[in-house]
Amino acid sequence: MIFHVVKKELQETLRDGRFKISTAIVFVLLTVSLVLTFNQYQYNNAQYIEAQKNERSLWEEQGEKNPHSAAHYGNYVFKPKSPLSLIDQGVEKYTGISIFLEAHNRNEAQFSNASDQTALSRFGELTPSFILLYILPLILILIGYDAYTKELEKGTFAILKSQGISNTKLLFGKWLSVLIPIVTITTLLFLFGGLILSNTSDIGVFNWEALGVLYIVYLIYYLILTNIVLFISLIAKKSGVALVSSLVFWVLACFITPKIASNIADSKYPYPTNQEFSKRVAEDRKKGLDGHNPWSEEAKKLEEEVLRKYNVDSVHKLPFNYSAYRMQKGEEYQAKVYAKHYSWLDEQAQKQEKVYKSTSMISPFLPTRFLSMAISRTDYQSHRDFSEKAETYRVKTQEFLNGLTEKNSRYGERYVASANAWKKLPKFEYKPPPFSQILNSNTPMMLILIVWFAVTGAVLFFINKNH
Amino acid sequence: MFSYNFKYELKSLLRSKWLILLTIILLTLVLFAGYSGKKKVNKRVFDIEKANNTVKEQDITVLKVLDSIEKGFVINQNLRSLPTNPMNIGYSYPRVAAMYPLETAFISTGQSDLFTHYVQPKAYGDSFFFNHAEFSSPIQLLFGSFDLAFVIIYILPLIIIAFSYHIFSLEKENGSLKLMASQPISIYKWILQKTMLRFFVLSVIVVLVLTIAFIINNYNFVENLAEYLYFLLLTLTYILFWFTVVLLINIKVNNSAKNAVSLLAIWVFIILIIPAIIAQAANTFYPIPSRTKMITDVRALKDDVSKKQDKILDNFLRDHPEYASNKKQNYSFWHKYLASQDLVEDEVKPLIKSYETQLLKQQQWVKLWQYSSPAIILQQSFNDIAGTSTTHYQEYRTQVAKFSAKWRDFFVPLLYNNEKFSTKLYKQLPTFEYKKPKYTSLLFKASIVLIMSMFFLLITRILFYNKSKKGTIIN
Repeated sequence: MIFHVVKKELQETLRDGRFKISTAIVFVLLTVSLVLTFNQYQYNNAQYIEAQKNERSLWEEQGEKNPHSAAHYGNYVFKPKSPLSLIDQGVEKYTGISIFLEAHNRNEAQFSNASDQTALSRFGELTPSFILLYILPLILILIGYDAYTKELEKGTFAILKSQGISNTKLLFGKWLSVLIPIVTITTLLFLFGGLILSNTSDIGVFNWEALGVLYIVYLIYYLILTNIVLFISLIAKKSGVALVSSLVFWVLACFITPKIASNIADSKYPYPTNQEFSKRVAEDRKKGLDGHNPWSEEAKKLEEEVLRKYNVDSVHKLPFNYSAYRMQKGEEYQAKVYAKHYSWLDEQAQKQEKVYKSTSMISPFLPTRFLSMAISRTDYQSHRDFSEKAETYRVKTQEFLNGLTEKNSRYGERYVASANAWKKLPKFEYKPPPFSQILNSNTPMMLILIVWFAVTGAVLFFINKNH
Repeated sequence: MFSYNFKYELKSLLRSKWLILLTIILLTLVLFAGYSGKKKVNKRVFDIEKANNTVKEQDITVLKVLDSIEKGFVINQNLRSLPTNPMNIGYSYPRVAAMYPLETAFISTGQSDLFTHYVQPKAYGDSFFFNHAEFSSPIQLLFGSFDLAFVIIYILPLIIIAFSYHIFSLEKENGSLKLMASQPISIYKWILQKTMLRFFVLSVIVVLVLTIAFIINNYNFVENLAEYLYFLLLTLTYILFWFTVVLLINIKVNNSAKNAVSLLAIWVFIILIIPAIIAQAANTFYPIPSRTKMITDVRALKDDVSKKQDKILDNFLRDHPEYASNKKQNYSFWHKYLASQDLVEDEVKPLIKSYETQLLKQQQWVKLWQYSSPAIILQQSFNDIAGTSTTHYQEYRTQVAKFSAKWRDFFVPLLYNNEKFSTKLYKQLPTFEYKKPKYTSLLFKASIVLIMSMFFLLITRILFYNKSKKGTIIN
């Protein structure tokens, strides 16, 4: 019996001109977006590889130089593209691509794409995730809004019931027939995306597992939406009303709630301005040791300490270059100051995330959006992970460079390292966190999504029983 | 007949709960958007004021020290940091180059969440590399802000669609259209009047609600009346545009559920798809050169220049500018630094400029193609009115770069003439004032939207004529 319902409904959908046109448009949009993002992806990837190579050769060919000069010269690290950014680019447009690592300062990632584009790019972009998140739900509404109301309007409901079908079976049939077209489109997209990714060289950490989980997340999203659309169709008396109500839900869930959530998060836990943040850091830095300032109180304290420890009366008698030692101590203090302020920033971001999580109760769009970004490794968390690892590398680089001077020269000497010294600095290799870790940290979002499905499913089931 | 029609429609509108619901929804949305817009603007002003106050406080202390030195008192301060050295002022006491929000800034967030609104250019450092990015949560940027522009551009059309998608088809479905046809009024005139009445009612509500939001935000109507009126005019033409679309679809499709679907598809196209396609095309035709490549290029270039610099600048001083003023030689670190800085800037200029020109080209592209969707026209105009458009920030960047050069140039002669900095010179320090750029006439943009509406109206008339000839309007 369910089979008959599904067959009839699907046939009806397939014959519908509106469905044909909209699916055709969605297919065109999907293809275009996939081609565009793939081209962009390859372009960025090629540039990333080239830039990294150039950057390293610039670093290695500095020639004879004082290591601290090299530290000021600094190096750039670049963020690799994640393979699944093909599906969801997340916040990548708004986070920078490269971080400049130098002595004394921790720099933010620079040059986000968004700041290099016109205001128009803020409307949205033609990417697969845009279609998956916004347009497919719309098609789903289009297919399902009149699933029940049309039976009422055409007077076929009584006839249908006289065939001896139970409410539950009818619901299940309708449910399947709304879902099947959407699932087909999604499956095709993911299969195609997976094939592209697995056949492209230079792929970072692409695995089918992540793509599979991403696929499941979107499926759950569509299951939830199907529940809601059918629920509205069940309780509405007219097709028009059902359609408008479903659309109101769509606008609320996909457009209004995220914006309101971001407004609340921002006004409740605001970020400091760029200048304000640097000022705070500068103030804290003043309180401690500065490697360039041997006259400060902190510097004198350190000197006394070191002299006492090595039991000598002058820094000249120390077995290492004391000024490099002081430089390193200053570096360590500054790194600590940065760590403190950045962890405060991190806390602020996490508090904001809590706001988003709590608004996820109102809109199934939000948990899907966040999970999709997280699994694609294009969310804020991935960016922070990259930025933290770059900072660790910066601190280690300073240690390496100051160590060169410290070990190879005496106090008061101007040490010039040989031209081949720079090659000894280990390369920066960004290793993104393993997939299991991403899954673990996103379990709450996953649970919210499942709760959404369970609750809407249960409501739909009970309303239908008493219909 | 017009008065009968008008009276009947108005009465039925007033009696239905729709109107109350509509007013409440609009009022809530607009007030919330206005409130959060104002809150952002207030934070922006607060941040700038805070920076200004810090500068003022520093000024007072520095002036005191300068005054004491000029009067011949002995100063208990590290010699290197004495404010009589002009470069110390140029480096440690920068001015605030701020971009204050316009009175209308709360209307549209635009690009204001991406860029900083004040910088403090110093006499030392790469002015061309000035970081204008603002610290903000990328999630916030991704989702965008809930501002008045969003309510008008995205939500208002949906309200119009929900309110009127069956304005004509319902009459047909209810059977009242046949009755109507027997009345001594042409059906076309009647439906036109009916639609225009709804347009009129919604317009009154929208104008009222928006004005309330402006009043709550303490808007200065006397000084900025033109902006307020342009804002309303654009909004009204946009509402008119959507009503003509609704009318066209009602005549063309004439089936309530199908109307709604078609209108929705149009909404998606005008507001989501067309802007995305145009933005994508702008990026494809005028791609911004790779920043990754720029970074490596600039470093290679600097490397080259610094090899030339080696002749004039010894390595140690370049890494340690803070020691420089200590040296009692004729040519200090600053002499050499400033000389080499000009060299670097001249070399880097074409590279940096390529970004600005490419962005300008993109903007011209968007300027041309904005007329493909009233949503883009409105967004661009609102950003222009609010002073948050890409052009505004680009202009600000240019002005800051100029000011940065001016700031440095102020100290160069002092340095080379070995002049000491004094209280007198303090008063002559360059200050920054942001001047907003000119933009395309808003009246022109509003008339384009109006012409679009007229075009749709014309098509509706032709369709109606053809359909009534075939007799498919009523049956």
